[in-house]
Amino acid sequence: MSPNKPLAWLAGAIAAVTLTACGTGAPSPAGKSSSAAKPSASVLAGGSSCSSSSVKLTFWAWVPGINRAVNKFNQTHPGICVTLEDPGAGEPEYTALTNAMKAGSGAPDVAEIEFDELPSFEIQHYVKNLVPYGAGKYQKDFAPWAWSQVSQGGGVYAMPSDFGPMGFYYDQKTLAKYHVTPPKTWADFATDAAKVHRQNPKATLADFPVNDAQWLMDMMSQAGAWPFQYNGGSNITINWTGPKQEAFAAYWQKLISAGAVSTITDQATQQYTALDSGTIAAALDSAWAPSYFAANAKRSTGQWRAAPLPQWTAGANVAADWGGSTYPVLSASKHPKEAAEFAEWLTATDQSWNIVKTPPSSLFPTYLKTLQSKSFTSLAYPVSGKSQPNQVFSAGALTIPKTPWPPFMTQLISQEMTTVGGVMNGKETLKQAFAAIQQQEVSYAKAQGFKVST
Amino acid sequence: MTSATSTAARPRHSAYTRRRGRAGLAFVTPFMIIYTLFMIVPVLFAVYDSLYTTRLIGGTSFSGFANYATVLGSGPFWGGVVRVIIFGAIQIPVMLAIAFFFSSVFDLGLTKFGRVFRAIYFIPFAVPIVVSSLMWGFLFDPGYGPFNHVMDALGFSNFNWLSPALVLPAIIIIAVWEWTGYNSIILYTALKSVPRDVVEAAILDDTPLWRIVLRIKLPMVRPAIIMLIFINAIGATQLFIEPTILNNYQAGVITNTWTPVMDIYSTSIQSGEYQLGAAMAVVLAVIVVAISVASLAFRRNQRELA
Repeated sequence: MSPNKPLAWLAGAIAAVTLTACGTGAPSPAGKSSSAAKPSASVLAGGSSCSSSSVKLTFWAWVPGINRAVNKFNQTHPGICVTLEDPGAGEPEYTALTNAMKAGSGAPDVAEIEFDELPSFEIQHYVKNLVPYGAGKYQKDFAPWAWSQVSQGGGVYAMPSDFGPMGFYYDQKTLAKYHVTPPKTWADFATDAAKVHRQNPKATLADFPVNDAQWLMDMMSQAGAWPFQYNGGSNITINWTGPKQEAFAAYWQKLISAGAVSTITDQATQQYTALDSGTIAAALDSAWAPSYFAANAKRSTGQWRAAPLPQWTAGANVAADWGGSTYPVLSASKHPKEAAEFAEWLTATDQSWNIVKTPPSSLFPTYLKTLQSKSFTSLAYPVSGKSQPNQVFSAGALTIPKTPWPPFMTQLISQEMTTVGGVMNGKETLKQAFAAIQQQEVSYAKAQGFKVST
Repeated sequence: MTSATSTAARPRHSAYTRRRGRAGLAFVTPFMIIYTLFMIVPVLFAVYDSLYTTRLIGGTSFSGFANYATVLGSGPFWGGVVRVIIFGAIQIPVMLAIAFFFSSVFDLGLTKFGRVFRAIYFIPFAVPIVVSSLMWGFLFDPGYGPFNHVMDALGFSNFNWLSPALVLPAIIIIAVWEWTGYNSIILYTALKSVPRDVVEAAILDDTPLWRIVLRIKLPMVRPAIIMLIFINAIGATQLFIEPTILNNYQAGVITNTWTPVMDIYSTSIQSGEYQLGAAMAVVLAVIVVAISVASLAFRRNQRELA
């Protein structure tokens, strides 16, 4: 109802953008900063302190505390001056970035883009191939999944930064109360979920936040049910209704129908409260959970432990990734060489990682040297007591199946969230929702000019 | 609304007319420049843009009325249009009835501290819609919201205001709360302009109070009520903030095409189909213009009859 309240309306539009970003945008460490995200770009590092002869770069990112790394870079690279701006976490930044690229001015030299969004920027040629700037030599330094995410054909279109190998993150006291141990397989998981729910009809073993498309698809990747094939260009395969996908849907639908898993939104107060109070005993969560959940844990602080994800085949060792960011050089950059140098320094040096792995950034490294260093894997977090959750998450980091994201994730995330609504309130099955998503995505991809296979 | 605007005598001297014309032009020019730049040009650009289609593969090309064909054949878009019509058809009469009741009470001077109460009832209008939606979201929240507990206590178990069936009534309650004060101020002003002698004559005739209010005063503020119906109807077509905010309290109930404006927003920003969004906006604007023209025609008709 707008005509009389233009100001309220504008505020509403801004709030809507911000809230959507919290809800859908960025479950990577990205999300962590959403409360700190600024509605407009603000300079957080660099700027006026540089010498006039230096090459000036603009850098957009929302990771809290990354200004420390930018300052370090500026100190150690006198010829380059990077200015950091934070236009907001996730979707607000992508919208600003896309608008700037379309307008032909105002785009930064380097920007933070999540893994799943990178193909959307690649297809529009908004990001530069970094191979001519020496990025190829870093392949061996990164977790294979992360490197596959930034490479396409012979090109490398961004430097990978952090990611989130997934695990079974659980409150050990709550689990012990129900006489359950971390499930080794998904069959065990189903048995345990029923066991918990039988003992306490108000409690569940875990949440199935089906309206989080990124989380859902990551879980599908672990089941070998990834619904897309895409390698750049105009051909795409979309398959939400194959046998693997339907088996995945059937498995979870059975648990949802029985009330053995919750279906509430993740990364939101309601879920945190349920996890903290023990109403939900565990989370199918990512490596950034210990630092992310800490702020929301009160009663359960110190009780959280990490175990590997349950397996579809007994004895297998398949992980999944949830979230994470990359740093591409935008094609509009006037100084691509220096911009690439900055992106490479930020992601592939000890100097940078020694800063960004610490709070408030707390990035979980794709950079193997840090990922596998004793000082990193042995880190303890107050929320997890004296345990070392990074041991589990680092081990999973090398066994993540490939996830070739479609080049229209913003559309998919928004559409999926709407489409699975019926699953959350019991009006529709997951299989029906998958069929609807299939139909919507095929028609969207065709309208966008893709040659679609199913 | 008994204004007498066109009764002033027309100036006869053409030189005076011209001078006055020039001065008038100088006064309206700044407004017209800004209005053209920020209203007319963007509207024309949206119409122009809606005739093109940008694809991820293949770039931008002229597509004529293809976007309009998509909008006209879009089930979700018209579903949203129907939803805001239902919303308006319930919310507007309920709100106007309450607003008329309060404005009559104040007008008759039945309460002490009338001014204070008028101010209190006006406050919701001064609260930004985002803030009031957040507040009501907490009140309706299925987990800890007091309203669900009230319904539980009344014997409706597992009552959820934000469930698919009840979220529209919940939004109607919010909108009524937000807009009643504003509407009652306008009605109060209209009631105050009812000539005293008419009311005094009625009192001398021993007419009961309810009759004075419903049979004498209500017909005399009819133009104001009709104007409010149309203003609120235009507002109803643009429902956006309340459902968008409530979506954060109960996921999966409010879709991204729940109202036409939400559909325009998600099509443009999330799906990146700005031109299709522009076509939707043009279609919605045509609907709003139709309501406005109907309103003007209706009001002119009424005045002529009166």
